[in-house]
Amino acid sequence: MAYDSKDKTNNSTMELATFYLGSALCGMDILNIQEINKLTDITKVPQAPEYVMGILNLRGQIVTIIDLGRKLGLPMVDRDEKNRNIIVRSKDESIGLFVSRISDVVTANPDKIEPPPANIGNIQGEYFGGVFKTEDRLVGVLNLEKIVSADR
Amino acid sequence: MSIEIDETLQVFIDESIDHLADIESDLLSIEEAGANLDEDLVNKVYRAAHSIKGGAGFMGLTVIQKLTHEMENILGLIRSRELVPTPEIVNILLSASDTLKDMVNDITASNEVDISRHLELLVAITEESYQGETAVTGDEADSAADPVEPEAEEAEKPLNAAEFAGFALPAMEIIDALDNGRHVYLIDIALIPDIYEKDRSLQELFDDMKDTGTLLMGRVDMEAVGSLPEDLPPCALPYKAVYATILNPGDINILFRLPENCIFQITEDLHLLPIDTGIGVAATPKPAPTAEPKLDPVVPAQKEESPVEEFSVVEDHALHSVENEIETAAKVSSASAPPSQNVCGAPKSMTASSETSLRVHVSLLDSLMTLAGELVLSRNQLLQSLASDDRRLSEMSGQRIDLITSELQEAIMLTRMQPIGVVFNKFPRVVRDLSQKLGKEVELVIEGKTVELDKTIIEAINDPLTHLVRNSVDHGIEAPAERRKIGKQRVGRVLLKAFHAAGQVNIQISDDGRGLNGDKLAAAAVKKGLLTEEQSRTMSEKEKVSLIFLPGFSTAENISDVSGRGVGMDVVKTNLEKLGGQTEIDSEPGKGTSIGIKLPLTLAIIPSQIVVTEGERYAIPQVSLVELLRIPADKVKERIEKVGDAEVVRLRGNLLPLVRLADVIGLERTFFDPDNHEERPDRRQDIADRRSKESPLTPENFQDPDQSEKDEPEAEVRTGGDRRYHARSALNIAVVSTGAMKYGVIVDRLYDAEEIVVKPLGRHLKNCKGYAGATIMGDGRVSLILDVGNLAHMAGLTSVEGASRAKDVAQEAREKNMAGNEKQSLLTFRGDVTEQFAVPLNLVERIEKIEKKQIETVGGTQVMQYRGSSLPLFTVDQVAQVKTLVDTANLLVIVFTIAGREVGLMATGPVDAIDVALSIDGMTLKQTGIMGSAIIDGHTTLLVDMYELVRHLNPEWFEMQETVTTSEGETPTILYAEDSNFFRSQVKGFMEDAGYRVLEAEDGLEAWDLLQEHANEISMVVTDVEMPNLDGLGLSRKIKTDERFSSMSVIALTTLAGEDDIARGREAGIDDYQIKLDREKLIECISVHLNQ
Repeated sequence: MAYDSKDKTNNSTMELATFYLGSALCGMDILNIQEINKLTDITKVPQAPEYVMGILNLRGQIVTIIDLGRKLGLPMVDRDEKNRNIIVRSKDESIGLFVSRISDVVTANPDKIEPPPANIGNIQGEYFGGVFKTEDRLVGVLNLEKIVSADR
Repeated sequence: MSIEIDETLQVFIDESIDHLADIESDLLSIEEAGANLDEDLVNKVYRAAHSIKGGAGFMGLTVIQKLTHEMENILGLIRSRELVPTPEIVNILLSASDTLKDMVNDITASNEVDISRHLELLVAITEESYQGETAVTGDEADSAADPVEPEAEEAEKPLNAAEFAGFALPAMEIIDALDNGRHVYLIDIALIPDIYEKDRSLQELFDDMKDTGTLLMGRVDMEAVGSLPEDLPPCALPYKAVYATILNPGDINILFRLPENCIFQITEDLHLLPIDTGIGVAATPKPAPTAEPKLDPVVPAQKEESPVEEFSVVEDHALHSVENEIETAAKVSSASAPPSQNVCGAPKSMTASSETSLRVHVSLLDSLMTLAGELVLSRNQLLQSLASDDRRLSEMSGQRIDLITSELQEAIMLTRMQPIGVVFNKFPRVVRDLSQKLGKEVELVIEGKTVELDKTIIEAINDPLTHLVRNSVDHGIEAPAERRKIGKQRVGRVLLKAFHAAGQVNIQISDDGRGLNGDKLAAAAVKKGLLTEEQSRTMSEKEKVSLIFLPGFSTAENISDVSGRGVGMDVVKTNLEKLGGQTEIDSEPGKGTSIGIKLPLTLAIIPSQIVVTEGERYAIPQVSLVELLRIPADKVKERIEKVGDAEVVRLRGNLLPLVRLADVIGLERTFFDPDNHEERPDRRQDIADRRSKESPLTPENFQDPDQSEKDEPEAEVRTGGDRRYHARSALNIAVVSTGAMKYGVIVDRLYDAEEIVVKPLGRHLKNCKGYAGATIMGDGRVSLILDVGNLAHMAGLTSVEGASRAKDVAQEAREKNMAGNEKQSLLTFRGDVTEQFAVPLNLVERIEKIEKKQIETVGGTQVMQYRGSSLPLFTVDQVAQVKTLVDTANLLVIVFTIAGREVGLMATGPVDAIDVALSIDGMTLKQTGIMGSAIIDGHTTLLVDMYELVRHLNPEWFEMQETVTTSEGETPTILYAEDSNFFRSQVKGFMEDAGYRVLEAEDGLEAWDLLQEHANEISMVVTDVEMPNLDGLGLSRKIKTDERFSSMSVIALTTLAGEDDIARGREAGIDDYQIKLDREKLIECISVHLNQ
């Protein structure tokens, strides 16, 4: 019984890791995230889709790095000191999402996540699983599978 | 009953799998031996069955036990020679062993498997044998031969049931029964022979029928009785019945034991479907519905079949064409995915199961353990050295770790190695089954079973190889009758061979069948729009045959199901390429086809050449790399030519298409500007665009690097940052091969070769065809591995195009050549700093850099140790009056092979290989060891006569050779036509030295006159190719078409013998080609042709 109640509390909240793409604040379930690291030596892949920045050696594993801005139809993410790669795991493959900078971790109640509007700050709504309102800002919660799918 | 897999059971499974692994091939050998029994082999199979039986009994695996028991019985009979292992019996045993394998692989379900059909067949054999029916084998052989023929017949539409039955069917009842999930059959029994003679009573039969279904209608065909032939037993009683049952078409015959053309399944629209129970038995029921009684007592013989077909057919419910009958085992296994009723399903063993566990020799594991231990020790050492900041120690441990890692890698690789026999062993069965079905006789020869390959490769080559072997049997080998007609051995031969060569595993699949007709293929390709007519005309035979690998190309004019269904040869090739393999095809119409496959030993780690383009490293697998080429800046214009849009490089007389890596993968091209150390965009369109000849800006000596400095302002004016003349813009080319063709990839820089670990690319990059994967370099950065085959496609460089383009260029070049002087490839070097020497490049074996201290003086001769023996060394100045060799620590040794021995000529740099049109002066500077002089690059260069040099120093080496040449006591006379004085005197010298008499002619016309004058004396003609008045080809044609001389050998001497030239020469009747100034080969060649 004790476990049950604990599970329930876990289920009723989720933690969103939030980050910026330019000025847009986005977030994703923190459980999807394998690690966050700095931009290191990326190898460009000629002929790759334009949103693919290149590939990276992550402890012996080849990781494809996606410029999340490009992928979502925003301008390319500016290259600066605060850039980070969010490494996520999807279908047995590690994929890096290149973002402008990392922000806070927000605790959210899944019930409070609202369905996304058609677009959020010029980003197509299809990439969002919903919108979560914090005290002062809106967080677009990303639909990870959609983003890391190889279509388009 | 569920069975838990515990340890004992696992051991049983493992053992059984081991036993079963060999059973198939052993059974086939037994079949082959026939009455000529190999007792050891039979014993082996017998023991295998016996041990499985024993184990199964112990484990409570009753079904396995029963099946093995019956198999054992038959094997026992074979062993005691009471039974001759005919193909039919072996068939039954094989299909039983297939089922057995399936059961062992899925042990928990084994007790539910229905093996009644096998049991019945097996028991039938045993019984017949006990009844002493000696006729059995004979009859069986007949019935086995029969089924082949009907295949030729066209498949027929399902028959109307009523027509066949000869009476109206109870349609309602049939449909009712079908709706209830029953199967309805029309059975045509000759009551007496079919029932009585099988020791069954009618009562029993009808009881059996009642037990399993309902008799909807039954009728004795009275008319038929009347019309029965008189010689039949009077008791024959044709009886037709409509019978509804839950029995599957596959099982129905267990009940009736009837020949297959007497039972039909009735479909909803009241048509008949045959119950196909036999190999290749056509779907044609007897034309006359009057059932002639089947007196053949040997029912099992007609039921012999592999279970596979039966089920595939039933499952498809679509036996509309013969093709479906020629279903092949492996394909069926996928087609009939859920083998219903868990009956002896399709043999899974056919698609090589990828095992999840491996057997590794204990000694190998031990050595792995030792290495792991050493690794730990070295790690400790390293950590310690780092802690104490001991540089020397950390270096040492670093080295040790390096060593151990490579050993560890090797050892682990070894654990993954498996003999290719694992794959090969299934082919005897494939070939046997297939040839039986196709009515062909094929002998499969397997060589090199022990060659080992990485496990993943072994698993992955299974399908491509199966496809190729099937192709050979299906398309390659002709039917026996056809073979006999064209004078071939009745039995076709397919050779499957594996062997090591050049660090790779080669697999060869060859047959002696009808071969491929290149022209036909080309015509088909043109028809399909894969090729233009023009392209096809310029293609070589080999290229035409290779068309079979083009995507969208299927050769089978009538596609049979055996091969050529769905997957084409292009898929085979692509699949093999995925493994890093290369495929090559050779074929001669009427003689057979041979397909060669080259595979890497292992996939994970491959040696690769690292190249750099636009600052990024790329790896080219060594497998596809042919050679590396660097064209110095000042040679680029000469060597690179442009034809249409294509750029080609001249490489040893052949033309090689070129692509720029940066262009193919779409990188911005830059070049390195050494003046201000910047990379700048390169706007050159043509590789050789360093000012075309026509350009008014062309400076006379543009090769001079200094000159470019002066040109710079002009260049700036013209194109801004264009800096094309710089020495740094030498071209680096990696010459790669895709199997069918070679081409050059231009890169910025060439690095070392490295062993790289292949890592897959992510799914976002799967559309980037240019890469075979990625790897991590020593510095941790990722580099892409290039896929040479796909790069060629991306560059629009199909082999066909490349070939035709290269041909155009060759034609142009030839014309140019005709006009100018002949070119000669020379290697230039120096002895003293100021004196330049040259030798013909084709004489040079290798060039080695050595240190002076490596030279030893032994017995008055200078030698060095070289590849395990002593290489005698000498210098030009030992013989000729030239300046002595410079005394430096580092020397070059140019290695030649002269008089069958290797010798080294000591020299100093710079060495260079050049192709120049020379006017050689054979007089002014001639002396011993020097054949003449020429001006090369503004230097007077002495041409060294290697033979004279060596002969002067070691005259005894040549004695042997010079005495052999006289035949019939006379000195043979050679007519030699050559327009260049220099070459004429040189080559004449060679031939005279070798003991021949030589008649000289200055051109072909003169030679022709001489030949007629001295028709009786001249035994051979040696001629130059390019000559005024009448060239060598013309001379040869004249000689060969004149009946007086038609048998005379003609040897052509050239400077550059490209394949095209050789082919043209052949047409003109030239017997052999030799390179000018390659004395040894020429003399050898002359003596060979004289002795013919």
